[in-house]
Parts: sequence; structure tokens; C-alpha cells
Amino acid sequence: MIKLYGIIILVAVLGGVGYGAKYYYDTTQNTIAQLRENNAQLEVAVDTAQNSVETLQGDMKKLATLNKGLQEDLQKAEAYGDELRQKLSKLDLVVEALKNSKSLEGKMNGATANLWRDFMGDTGGNAERPLPNWLLESKARTDSQDSNQSGESSDTSGSTTEATPTE
Amino acid sequence: MEKVQIPVVAQPKPLQLNDTRVFVVNKDNYEEFVKEFTATYGELAFVALSMKDYQNLALNIADIKRYLEQQKEIILYYEKAVTEEPKEKEDD
Repeated sequence: MIKLYGIIILVAVLGGVGYGAKYYYDTTQNTIAQLRENNAQLEVAVDTAQNSVETLQGDMKKLATLNKGLQEDLQKAEAYGDELRQKLSKLDLVVEALKNSKSLEGKMNGATANLWRDFMGDTGGNAERPLPNWLLESKARTDSQDSNQSGESSDTSGSTTEATPTE
Repeated sequence: MEKVQIPVVAQPKPLQLNDTRVFVVNKDNYEEFVKEFTATYGELAFVALSMKDYQNLALNIADIKRYLEQQKEIILYYEKAVTEEPKEKEDD
């Protein structure tokens, strides 16, 4: 009888251990499956984060290059005004007008015509539009006058196609 | 990361400017100017500017030109910033 009880207890203990082992195994498997799923999601999240970081780094690099180019272009745009101010500060237009009004007139008209064409070119229009006849005639007259007046001088600043109103 | 797509809009119509003519007149060529001007335009009516005002006008236009060019460069900057570059560029 004791032997029978002993066997029953042993079977019960073995059953309990077996159940416990089964429970432990199932729980562990579930945990492993859950962890595997979490890991896959984390890998996707890491990839996305990595892509975002790379995109941001690329954008920052691109913007830095663009910004550098922009600063250079903004600086270039100052050149015309700076040059004009410099030339005007060196010249006395009243004296020039009294000395040779036709030459100054040609320079002013030529520079103005070029300026309008620059504006048109800058905005996508036709910068190569022919100069008006009165300007070409005036230029020809001024050029011949200049060459007659100063044979010793080869100064070509009398050109009407200069880019400023005074030079 | 999804970027917001901003369409690049068309540029405005280019400038179509008319030529303008300046006469430089002093006491010595005034008579000649009157004769030539009347022969060209029929009537003797004109706008006069002192040299100082002409200088100011030239400097004002130069500043407008500067602003226009800088504004254009800034617009180009933004256009390039929002435009997606091709992934692989061909070697030059």
C-alpha cells in the first residue's frame, strides 16, 4: 500500500515536473517569438532612423553648398553698384559735360542702353536687342570726333557701350 | 522620412524695356541742342536733370538692379533647395 502511494506521489511529482517543464518551454518559446518580433520591429525602426539621419545629413550638406553659392552670388550682385559709385566718385560730370558734352552724352546713352538690356537678359528676355539707330549714329560721330581730337591718345573710354552711365 | 513636395512655379514675364535718350546740354551747345531737338521731336519740351540728380538716378537704378539680382538668386536658392536631385549623376 505504501509502495502504491509512493508510486502515485512519484507519478504526481514527475507529472508536476513535466507540466512545469512544458509550461516553462511554452513560456520561453512565446517570449522568444515576442522578442524576435520586437527585434524585427526595432531593426525596421533603426533602418528608418538611419535613413532619416542620412537624409538630414544629405540635406544639410546640400543646403550648406547652396548657401555658400548664394552668398557668393549675392556678393557678385553688389559689383555693378560698387563699380558705378567708384567711377562717379572719380569723375566730375559737370566738368565732363562742359569739356565734351557729346562724348559724355554718348557714354550715358550707351551705358543706359546696356543697362536696359542687362535687365531684360536677367529676367529671361532678349539681352541682344540691337541698339537704336540714333545711338549708333551718335556713337559713330563721337568715335570719329574723338579720333580726330586726340590722335596721340588711344583711350577707348569714349565707347558708348560701356556699362555705366558715366564711363 | 517623407519630404514635403513644393512645386516650382513659373517665372514672371521677362522685362521688355524701351530705350531712353539723354541729351547733355551746356551753355555752348544749347542752341545746337534746341535745333536738333526740335528737328527730331517737333516741339521744344523736355525734362531736365542736373548732373547731381542724374547721378542719383543712376545710383538708384544700380541699387534696384542689385536688389533684383539678389532677389533672383534667393529664389533660385529656394528652388534648388526644394528640388530633388537625381540620385546618380552621370560622370562629366
